[in-house]
Amino acid sequence: MTQILFKNINMKDLHTMKVYEEQGGYQSLKKAFDQKPDEIIDAVKASGLRGRGGAGFPTGLKWSFLAKDVFPRYLCCNADESEPGTCKDRELLLKNPHMLIEGMILCSYACRIETGYIYMRGEFHDLSFIMDKAIEEAHAKGYLGKNIMGTGFNLEIYTHLGAGAYICGEESALLNSLEGGRGEPRMKPPFPAVEGLYAKPTVINNVETLCVVPYIVNEGAEKYASLGTEKSKGTKLVSVSGHVKKPGNYEVVMGTSTREIIYDLAGGIRDDNELKAFIPGGSSVPMLPASQVDVGYDYESLAAAGTMLGSGALIVIDNKANIVETTLRLISFYMHESCGKCTPCREGTRWLHQIVERILQHKGQLEYVNKLEDICDNMAFKTFCPLADACVSPVMSSIKHFRSEYEEYFKNTPVGSV
Amino acid sequence: MSDNEVTLTIDGKSVTVPKGTKVVDAAKQVDVDIPVFCYHEKIGPLGCCRMCLVEVEKMPKLMTACTMDVMPDMVVKTTTDKVEKAQKGVLEFTLLNHPLDCPVCDKGGECPLQDNTFKYGPPDTRMEFHRHNNAKATPLSPVITIDRERCIACQRCTAYSERIEQDRGLVMLNRGFHNEVGTFNNEPYDTRFSGNVIDICPVGALTNTDFRFKARTWDLTNAETLCANCGCNCNITMGTRLNELLRIEARPNDAVDDGWICDKGRWGHQFVHSKNKILTARENSAGGGKPTSFPTFPRDCTIEEAAGKVAEAFKKIAKEHGPESVGFIGSPYGTNEENYLYQKLFRQGLGSNNIDHKPYRDTPGLPIDHYGIEQIETANVVLLIASDPTEELPILDLRIKKAVTGCATRLVSLNDQKIVLDKYSTQSVQYKVGSEALAIDALANGLARELGEPAPTQDVGLEQTGISAEDMKALVETVRSSMKICVVYNPSALSGDAVLRVKRLLKLIAKVPTMECGAIPAAPATNAVGAMDMGLLPDFYPGGVSATDQEEIKKQWGEDTPTTNGLSALEMIARAESGELKALLVHRSNPVIDFPGGARVEKALRKLDLLVVHDMLETETTELAHLVLPSSGPGYDEGTTTNIGGRVQARKSALEATHAPDWKIISLMLNALGDETEYQKSLDVTDEIAKKVPGYQGINRRSMGKSGCTRESTTSTDETIAEQPTGSGEDGSLRLRVATFLFSHDKILDASSKLAHHFLSFTAHLNTEDAKRLAIKDGDTVLLSNEDVTLEATASISNRCQPGGVVVPRVSDWQGVNALIGTDGTLARVEVRKV
Repeated sequence: MTQILFKNINMKDLHTMKVYEEQGGYQSLKKAFDQKPDEIIDAVKASGLRGRGGAGFPTGLKWSFLAKDVFPRYLCCNADESEPGTCKDRELLLKNPHMLIEGMILCSYACRIETGYIYMRGEFHDLSFIMDKAIEEAHAKGYLGKNIMGTGFNLEIYTHLGAGAYICGEESALLNSLEGGRGEPRMKPPFPAVEGLYAKPTVINNVETLCVVPYIVNEGAEKYASLGTEKSKGTKLVSVSGHVKKPGNYEVVMGTSTREIIYDLAGGIRDDNELKAFIPGGSSVPMLPASQVDVGYDYESLAAAGTMLGSGALIVIDNKANIVETTLRLISFYMHESCGKCTPCREGTRWLHQIVERILQHKGQLEYVNKLEDICDNMAFKTFCPLADACVSPVMSSIKHFRSEYEEYFKNTPVGSV
Repeated sequence: MSDNEVTLTIDGKSVTVPKGTKVVDAAKQVDVDIPVFCYHEKIGPLGCCRMCLVEVEKMPKLMTACTMDVMPDMVVKTTTDKVEKAQKGVLEFTLLNHPLDCPVCDKGGECPLQDNTFKYGPPDTRMEFHRHNNAKATPLSPVITIDRERCIACQRCTAYSERIEQDRGLVMLNRGFHNEVGTFNNEPYDTRFSGNVIDICPVGALTNTDFRFKARTWDLTNAETLCANCGCNCNITMGTRLNELLRIEARPNDAVDDGWICDKGRWGHQFVHSKNKILTARENSAGGGKPTSFPTFPRDCTIEEAAGKVAEAFKKIAKEHGPESVGFIGSPYGTNEENYLYQKLFRQGLGSNNIDHKPYRDTPGLPIDHYGIEQIETANVVLLIASDPTEELPILDLRIKKAVTGCATRLVSLNDQKIVLDKYSTQSVQYKVGSEALAIDALANGLARELGEPAPTQDVGLEQTGISAEDMKALVETVRSSMKICVVYNPSALSGDAVLRVKRLLKLIAKVPTMECGAIPAAPATNAVGAMDMGLLPDFYPGGVSATDQEEIKKQWGEDTPTTNGLSALEMIARAESGELKALLVHRSNPVIDFPGGARVEKALRKLDLLVVHDMLETETTELAHLVLPSSGPGYDEGTTTNIGGRVQARKSALEATHAPDWKIISLMLNALGDETEYQKSLDVTDEIAKKVPGYQGINRRSMGKSGCTRESTTSTDETIAEQPTGSGEDGSLRLRVATFLFSHDKILDASSKLAHHFLSFTAHLNTEDAKRLAIKDGDTVLLSNEDVTLEATASISNRCQPGGVVVPRVSDWQGVNALIGTDGTLARVEVRKV
């Protein structure tokens, strides 16, 4: 299988400059500096690379949206990997920090940025030391700092640790947090490409996205675009978790079937149980029942199946698991992480939690399921940011596919037990 | 339709609005009501409450009307099933954990949550769990209490704190369901403008501690009146019940206050029920003055009788000793009507021009446009001269912040002390205390050089001002290159004839080609501009007519009116001391405390044969008076005042007084002196002002309406200015600057005031250089002295002024800081030493 990001991932001391350079690291810089910045943007556009953080927005297009002639501009690398089930960026930061730096240099050069930030979630405290060390090494080598490789191009990269809020992975909340403010999403427009960090044009990209860029510059956009499906190019890191024998991060070519990922790469279901359901793209996307396990793992196939690729976190649920309990666990995550800015999310997540909790106590009534659906309808797409939509996904999808499991809880409920 | 306008359709109605308008505001113009909680047109969009969801054609999901700019040909629908379901859903969420204590809630009856629920909400709730309980009464400050249970976390208040006050005093704490409005480290939220959050809170969460549970809102009688605490004249609503003032709210007027009031406006009117309120006319038998041979008031004397007797007494003295032996010190706090009638009384009735209202120099009118407060927003440069709006005219502070952060206005200042607004200025030029004349002239000379005009005065160099040549050059350049400049100067903080130099500077500014310019004379007193207009001046009749302009005066005011300049307030005090002034009438003024000189003023007033004080509260001066007349004052009185922007507005009575109003008392005195005008009501005087005072033509109740109207500014006459500004020798003493402090502990904010927590102790602000020389450390107790008095203060080495000066904020009446200044009002020099 083609490996781009994980090619040498387990090589000893890959995180050091010496080993990384031996493996061909930082070769892309010379190549890039021989080109005009816009040519790199065009290459990234041509490669079909889409943002790996969750929304899947075409990366090259995002770069070309920067407000013209407004400087300084900023690059923020979103390393606030908080989506439940996702742990791919962590592995890249831990084992291959230079790849990210190389990607950030390329992006900065292409977008004429002189300051980059790596916004890491607070729990990545230990990784920040690895990252800082790598930045230091890159400085010593002259890949960062003033007049990089004699081109007159300057770049500084800083790491910044968040304080552990899920919402700070949302790009505008990330900017607020980075500026020292409260981690709450901002109003859009203006979009970050026009007014982002410190009200200046800002590129915000996921770790994985930026790590792909050196490959595109080295090997050419066509080679990258030759991988994957029509609308989903290249490879994707998948974090497989849940009831599988070999949970972990796997790099797959876009379009690989989900069955292959679960049964071949991850070794199949634990204790050889039956697959019941899976959440393909992190806890924020709707779950799918086992019957759809052959769905292709790419943006368009998953969208057609009524879910999303998201951040690429495949959560596998076997038939020993209780779907209602699973749903409650997911709701409680979103209830805890709601920033509280807008009413439907702040109040709705808590209400959903109260209701599902009561169902689990066998104290509910049959109409609760309809009520859950209606509350979800009142929340979905009516909030400031997609956090409420994310909370609604598991509830709606679990009711859609496993309504009978909810109804089980009402069978023995005496009338008027509320 | 111009390029800057957009036409869209809302519920089938077409509307054209300026670009950048939010859909929710556009809807208002065609009477489509889109419900909101978090949106406030002055604060801007937040998108928190989600109440304003609407359907927009071609948009896949519902949009919030408060965050969305209008777009050409947009089709907005606010009454579709989808929208109605969303509104019901959002209201259900909002009410999910909101307590149903409307029957005891202060907001009940005027609550947007109640109103929106009735109009758009579900009839019932599907919530079957216990509502979340939270703290019911947590003080945010001594005057604001928050009911956290009622809070719907709309963030209006915190957005106000961030965007309007711009200091993030009030913030959201915690996250998700547990978020709450609070302050860093639980410190009190006690800014100058904190009270506005009570007005804007869409539920009963932020409550006025003073008003809490006192009355139901529908039982209040609301008077639409004006704040009387500074020269901005912000519009307020006084809510009273059973003749008791219960609360004050802002009454938005974009031309004045932009919808906000300061805390002194909100809680600083408690004096209306003060124990010190003067309610009857009385004779001070035990008063400090010497015994008088004039008729005394009988025990049950009516005010009408008393007024007549006062008039007779003054007439008698004027007859015996000549009209120059009587004088009048009026008030920049009185209404135009009171001021007008008093100057009429003294000029027509007694033939004296000994009329004044202030201890500093000023002349009426401006050589350039008199800008209204709202012009600050459209000016590209605002120049502050000797002005500290934050302490003196708080609402101006908010307006300047708004202009600087939102309208690309540049703020520059020429001041003798550091001020809070320096944070917003592109350049703050600081001159040494007392060198304002030199600094202003230097700016004028620099500007004249740039314009190729003759320099108005001899260049004396910048050394004495402590300003560097580069700084002055940059300031000159800013002024010269401005497109529209608004000069805000405070005449009461300018010593000597510096105010005339400011006017000379303004004339030069007017000569800059292609520039719009205007000025705001920003004296802090409520009706300082009105008092000047009404001719409470020894050298000007109403409307800025010079007292020596015989022809004009004889025509307007009759043959017997005086046409020589009278005595200024400070000169009257001096003549009282020398025995030349025999009788003085003081209206709503407290010279003993407010005028320079301290005990010497008191001594001078004791020498008078007759001192009559017409005031609303007992003061140090009423103690000296032989006769005291009651004045109604704000809350009770009716009349007009003119604010610093030249806007004339009506002040209405909210409470019923037990005695005759001031205008009645004065008109009785006028009648006793032979004037035959019968005024039936205050408005009759307003009408007479409209006839007699240049600039006030056409100003009447109708033209003023609810939000006032602008009076025409008169052109100032050119005054001769002493050629060489007085320099000063260096003798080791420091030059004193008495600075204004908003929450000064005085008669208005007495010890029982709700704002007592703002009171400060006596502090002297020194420069590091002087402190080093005098071996004074921060926090040391120091003595400030001149030949007469020695006062104790705490030193603060804050570099608030340049070396050679000391800034003392006037923090209370009892501090007696004016005693450090000579009675002639000139520059004070004080010795500062460590105890």
